[in-house]
Amino acid sequence: MFRKLVFALLAASFAAFAGGARAAAAPAEIKIGTLYASSGNFAAISMPVHYGLKLWVEQMNAEGGVYVKPFHKKIPIKLIAYDDQSNTATAATLYNQLITQDKVDILVADSGSPLTSVAVPIARDHKMLLIDQTGTGAAFFSKDNPYIVLMSDPVSSIWPKYVADFLTQEGPKLGIKRIALLYATNDFTGTQANAVRGFIRAAHAPVEIVYDQGVPTNTTSYTVIINNIRATNPDAVITLGFPNNDISYLRNLQDSGVKFKWQFAIYPGLETEHLEKTVGVKGLEYVYTYTPSSVLEYKAEFGMSLPQFRAAWDKKYGEGKVAFGFNSVAGYTTGLVLQKALAGTESMEQLALRKAIFALSGKLKTIDGTFELNDEGAQIGEITPLGQIVPDGKGGLKFVVVYPPAATTGKPVYPAK
Amino acid sequence: MPRVLRHTLLVVVPVTLAAALLPLGYSNQLLLFNFVVFLTLAQGVNVIYGFTGYLPFGYVGFFGAGAYGFSLAVIHLHMAPLAALGVGALAAIVLGLLLTPLLRLSGAYFAIANLAAALAVYQVVSNPNLTEITMGPYGISLSGVYHPQLSYAIAVAVMAATLGLAVYLRNSRFGLALQAIREDAVSAAMAGIDVVRARTVAWLLSALVAGLIGGVFAWYVSVFYPDTVFSADFSIFAIVFALFGGVATVSGPVLGVLILYGIYNAIGITTPQYFQLIYGLLIMGLVLFLPNGLVSLFKRWGIDVP
Amino acid sequence: MLEYALLAGLVFGLYFSLVGLGLNLVFGVMRIVNLAHGDFLMLGAFGAFWLFNLYHLNPIATVFIALAVFGALGVPLYYLLVPRLQRARDPEMLSIILFFGLSQVIEALATVGFGPSERSIPGRVLGSGPVHVLGQTFPAAWMVSAAASALAVLGVYFYLYRTRLGYLTRAVMVHREEALATGIDVHRVSAIAFGAGLALAAIAGVFAPFMLGSATPAMGVDLNIQSFAVIVIGSLGNPLGTVLGGILYGVSLMFMQTYFSSWANLLPYLLLILILLVRPSGLLGRQVRRA
Repeated sequence: MFRKLVFALLAASFAAFAGGARAAAAPAEIKIGTLYASSGNFAAISMPVHYGLKLWVEQMNAEGGVYVKPFHKKIPIKLIAYDDQSNTATAATLYNQLITQDKVDILVADSGSPLTSVAVPIARDHKMLLIDQTGTGAAFFSKDNPYIVLMSDPVSSIWPKYVADFLTQEGPKLGIKRIALLYATNDFTGTQANAVRGFIRAAHAPVEIVYDQGVPTNTTSYTVIINNIRATNPDAVITLGFPNNDISYLRNLQDSGVKFKWQFAIYPGLETEHLEKTVGVKGLEYVYTYTPSSVLEYKAEFGMSLPQFRAAWDKKYGEGKVAFGFNSVAGYTTGLVLQKALAGTESMEQLALRKAIFALSGKLKTIDGTFELNDEGAQIGEITPLGQIVPDGKGGLKFVVVYPPAATTGKPVYPAK
Repeated sequence: MPRVLRHTLLVVVPVTLAAALLPLGYSNQLLLFNFVVFLTLAQGVNVIYGFTGYLPFGYVGFFGAGAYGFSLAVIHLHMAPLAALGVGALAAIVLGLLLTPLLRLSGAYFAIANLAAALAVYQVVSNPNLTEITMGPYGISLSGVYHPQLSYAIAVAVMAATLGLAVYLRNSRFGLALQAIREDAVSAAMAGIDVVRARTVAWLLSALVAGLIGGVFAWYVSVFYPDTVFSADFSIFAIVFALFGGVATVSGPVLGVLILYGIYNAIGITTPQYFQLIYGLLIMGLVLFLPNGLVSLFKRWGIDVP
Repeated sequence: MLEYALLAGLVFGLYFSLVGLGLNLVFGVMRIVNLAHGDFLMLGAFGAFWLFNLYHLNPIATVFIALAVFGALGVPLYYLLVPRLQRARDPEMLSIILFFGLSQVIEALATVGFGPSERSIPGRVLGSGPVHVLGQTFPAAWMVSAAASALAVLGVYFYLYRTRLGYLTRAVMVHREEALATGIDVHRVSAIAFGAGLALAAIAGVFAPFMLGSATPAMGVDLNIQSFAVIVIGSLGNPLGTVLGGILYGVSLMFMQTYFSSWANLLPYLLLILILLVRPSGLLGRQVRRA
């Protein structure tokens, strides 16, 4: 007994000595620094992500903290969050504040590419790993920058792959030959439009793009554009825009009585409830969209399942001002990845964290799908399948996954009713 | 002591020294950098609004032109950053020249036309059809020339030069001539002032200032979208800061930036939830109770402020 | 395509004259730039949204509520802000800053109160199905909004040219000091015009969910700029020129969307600058140039 105790003490002191060079004692808290935009143009996409992350932090702290492997114990999280008001210059200052003054252990970007963009060089300069939540700009990722990793959305340059593949593979069988492409001219949707164009050309399928136009991102009136698209007689229409664009477009489409045989838009999938409220159920029927993790129940091997998350969200935020949807899942996913990474990392060094996060690639399956990274840190796993929103017969809507073939749950309704 | 020297010693030297030395002791250099940017922009607004009475509501147009002039020179012409700053300045001056006809407008008309001009430039730069030239909406990435230390130093130099310009205008015949035009253009012309030439020079000087600091901003930030450098916040902040301190002085805009931008950052960091609200109320209070700025208080007490 | 763009531009332009009308009335009477105009419009939109959601109140009814509430709000707000502002050296310029501050306050409160997301009202509320006009089809809600806009413009016309108060208002618009000298209660006339300006903004806001798709607390900024384009094209300070400005703006916007869609947003700015330079008084207006 005594011998055992001495042995244990010796072992413990040896371990303490060995680890002592870096950190003798575990810190009282793990500091996670992030920004959000409570107002301005990006508030609508930033707040749900931030609330999703906050939910995870509070859950962890309710359990006594997050397990951090280098210290072999649970440590409470301190979330330091500042409001950048959708202003990129302010965001830059605040990122720097988090790094240099608050000395956070983990730096999490605000949502969306514009507010993430300014953090990329700052994080790199300070050798901090930027936990990029939904900033999907392709230009952020390069071989020579190890200090960024994209959590929750696929990088814009591959996100629309299934949309294009469906049109080139299945399209000709359905009689789709003429495609119209309308996009909002910003990095997020512009890059996706380029990707769609590239995928379609590369496929050498018997389809052609007959309408290809960009519109300014703050466009609010689409009636004339819809009329112009109709004049080109397309079999399929792809519109890529932000929520405000999709809402205006789909409303104008419905109100003007035009019905395209095949219509794709991004946000009916990503923020379904929000669009149901603003566009109405009728306006979303038979629209194709990204099937999001917030409806397509991925088998979450780690973290809450979708119904659990939904319940926790409603309990915490109620029928609130911040919409539940894909973005709220994205924020929560960031938390899950961090949780796994902290449980697996060798040390709290930034590059060790990076290594721990990369080790999860292809293995971590959450509510958001399979987490998978390319070697530049861009997310390539959580690609959303192509789904069609159809009436569920009870006055509501449901998703039918139509592509890729391995994931399908039904046949596309073409032409749309 | 001559007034020029006194003003230089009282404002230009201490502000420049503080900006140059603070990074040694305070590590959030980007916060300091933004202070330097706004100190410069507020003085630029001072040059055109304080001395000639034209409210440049689209002042950010020059800032963005400078940022893009710099970035495109680096990307397409592979220029060294210091030379590229010259291109940025040139871009702002060319834009200023293109917009000189706007100076014929008065009052709110000028302010609105200037705003429209800045937005028009933004629309052109961010248009996807020009992606080959401007990178369109996809933004700029200048990681190759990224150099926070050097670009910070250049920003401080630009700021010092701008402060020097304000001192000159405050204490020279030319500055007086501009103020005379602001009060009454017809009388000024009759007193022998070349009104059109004088205000054009002031306009271009103020464009140059914004173009230079815009170029340095692009260099320092190095990854940005068009809306980052054409954000209306730059114009509005610079105008509000200059007004808060008091225009047509050297120290007014400096005080305005130090106090208001200081508060802005303090609120943003401590009580972010009421950020915009407090800021809006502060601005309203300023206009209603101190329309001529903080320094007007000192003047009322009979103190000559720089 | 051409006819469609033209007709849609007319309809859309009518609505845009309503959007700019209040801003122009306030500028015409008080020579102040209400940079919070777009935010009052936003409040009107949210008012319509909440009244519809909570009480299923038809937006047409909300128009009258908005008229009463914002008209009543405008009078005290006028006395609170404007007389004090006008004592400053350069009230026209300072008004831009003052009302920018106000717009920040409104946006902040709206974000806290309503949340940042887009809100909207179903289009069918204003009439179901597309409407056929001259062989083209348009959303019914557009036609209702355009008709309401036309009525509002007529109302302002009636007020200015057929009532005694309107007569006094026009006197103040022509020359504030002279009006003061002749014994007109300039502040009362201005306060009422200010209330009317806010009410017009709020009424335009009621239709915003139908014409602009949705409303967010941050929508004011864009709308301000569009309103400026409209009223400068028509003529700054002349409320009725706004209609011409609105229609010109609407039609040219739709043409741009048809032929150069990605450049569509460049148009209002170029049009604005061009008109200010070539005919700085606007298409129907008075002297604004100096030297």
